[in-house]
Amino acid sequence: MSGKILMKTETFFTIDMPYRERMDIRRTLFSGGDGSRVAVVAGLHGDELEGLYVCHRLAAWLEELQKTSPANLLGTVELYPAVNTLGLDTLTRGLPVFDTDLNRAFPGSTGGPLPERLAAALMSALSGAALVVDIHASNIYLREIPQVRINQDFDDLLVPIARRMNLDLIWLHGAATVLETTVAHSLNSRATPCLVVEMGVGMRITPDYCDQLVAGILAVWKDMGVLAPDVALPAITHMPLIADDSNVHYLNAQTSGMFVSSTSHWTDVRRGELLGTIVSPFHGGVLSEVRSPVDGILFTLREYPLVYEGSLMARVMARAGGRS
Amino acid sequence: MKRNLLCMTAPVREGFDIPCHEIGPKSAHPAVALVAGLHGDEINGVFILSRLADFLNSVEEGKYPELKLVKRVLIIPAVNVLGVNLRTRTWPFDKTDLNRMFPGNTIGETTERIAYAVLEATKRADYRIDIHTASADFEEVPQVRLHGPSDAERATARMFGLTAVMERSLSPVFTTTMMASWKVWPGESFVLRVGQAGTVQLDHCQRVFRSLVSFLGRVGVLEGVQIAVEDEEVCYFEKSSAFRVYAEKAGTFVSDRQVGRWVRAGQELGYIYDSFSGHVIEKVVSPVPGLLTGIRRHPLLFEGDLILRVNRKS
Repeated sequence: MSGKILMKTETFFTIDMPYRERMDIRRTLFSGGDGSRVAVVAGLHGDELEGLYVCHRLAAWLEELQKTSPANLLGTVELYPAVNTLGLDTLTRGLPVFDTDLNRAFPGSTGGPLPERLAAALMSALSGAALVVDIHASNIYLREIPQVRINQDFDDLLVPIARRMNLDLIWLHGAATVLETTVAHSLNSRATPCLVVEMGVGMRITPDYCDQLVAGILAVWKDMGVLAPDVALPAITHMPLIADDSNVHYLNAQTSGMFVSSTSHWTDVRRGELLGTIVSPFHGGVLSEVRSPVDGILFTLREYPLVYEGSLMARVMARAGGRS
Repeated sequence: MKRNLLCMTAPVREGFDIPCHEIGPKSAHPAVALVAGLHGDEINGVFILSRLADFLNSVEEGKYPELKLVKRVLIIPAVNVLGVNLRTRTWPFDKTDLNRMFPGNTIGETTERIAYAVLEATKRADYRIDIHTASADFEEVPQVRLHGPSDAERATARMFGLTAVMERSLSPVFTTTMMASWKVWPGESFVLRVGQAGTVQLDHCQRVFRSLVSFLGRVGVLEGVQIAVEDEEVCYFEKSSAFRVYAEKAGTFVSDRQVGRWVRAGQELGYIYDSFSGHVIEKVVSPVPGLLTGIRRHPLLFEGDLILRVNRKS
């Protein structure tokens, strides 16, 4: 056992911009022994910050380990906290200038324009890892409880890992061809396991959720032999429910206005219970009442109040045995 | 006749609608459906279709006695109405791409409801035409784009009389486009790509306007059209005929070349300058002899950006 952790922050992708500057994308590596290599990716969307904070908390934990018991890192941890560097630095969800959703550019190619090259560089960096966790933070409109989303094509391998990640929900979804261009699908279909975590809300951080996920990631890394079996970890306190397309109910706005919720996120709701109202700033009446269609758990709740007819306000997962 | 495809409410402004023109004899379904402005910044298509509606309405009013509209034509100049007014490609409220929301549905997101209404109005037409441009950074020669076409579509594509017909496979990425939803239905579907976003390019618009009138004549919807003998041949370009030049260096790209011209191998088509020092750092030349079908218009280049595309005649 070497008993040392080598830590370095380095540029793994660079490209020239039109006027003198270069766009550099950096990662931080923590290398211990010859055990498994694992990675965390965040900030593919420039308005999603929860994953950046998770990377910070993981780095803080690993730096502490470096000081106190470095021999407990048996493998290598790679943190890619800010993949859409320019988007994060400019409050833009997509890749600025290219107006592209980076998570629709995979697997990319080495010779084309920036989004393609960046995707290819990230694929090349992550391929062969024992596990990649790609952290997303919903968007500015909706707040999500900590959850893993898994394409049913890969559920045999991924669900057992996801169960141990200290999250509240595993959402199995059908295969959608448009999602084949995500980093997770591209990695999973090339034999590098990748879990997609969704939690919190865009442009904010939710420290409790981040700490919850940090505990789960560390526990999984210990199971995989990246961390020593006897290393002390934060407690696992959450067990996930399983949702799929058959028990998730969507509540879309029947009219436009301001949605004001009357219940808190991540609570049990009864069929017919009032979840919120849509009101108008021009007068005092209620335009529409939003009620739960089933007995279940409110796992998505609108954060941004204005809605158009059709805007998603909430998702409720029906409880087994509940009325629907 | 103007009809509203869909009327919707908005959070604080008045409700809005998506209007269309229905011109010609009444029938259960239009013979030809033309759509533009799924992306709000693609103004060439909006302009072409509003002008076409004006022309066909004039035909109906008897202003062109030699012409007769014998089948119904449906025209939606702009689907993303608010996007046109606010000059944004996507639906301005939630930044979703309307051309990634098909087939849509009546109880889903706002943009899914819009997609559903547009698909319902157009899907049963014999011929369906969706007009797009490239981005604001790039100019495309006016062309017919075919996505995984049938032999009938390959043959019909020539009836537009545009110089370039380009075939592409239907990639999984495009599953949620209007084109992919159209293809489920009997009938033929075409995309026209015309110039660049954010502007009206009069030459391109006039050329495509004429090509649409000729098309309506050739497919027997508009009787009495004198089909001009084309002075340019129609070229059918397979995917493998495209040669692209990417920026090996970042900088400022300048070119005075026009799309739709035939170029020689090695012909100079533009220069890349260092944006700070002003030095010429690269001379951009055509890799092959062929038709210049697309060229970069935004001068500022990232390393790796597409500069131009030349299609070689087979």
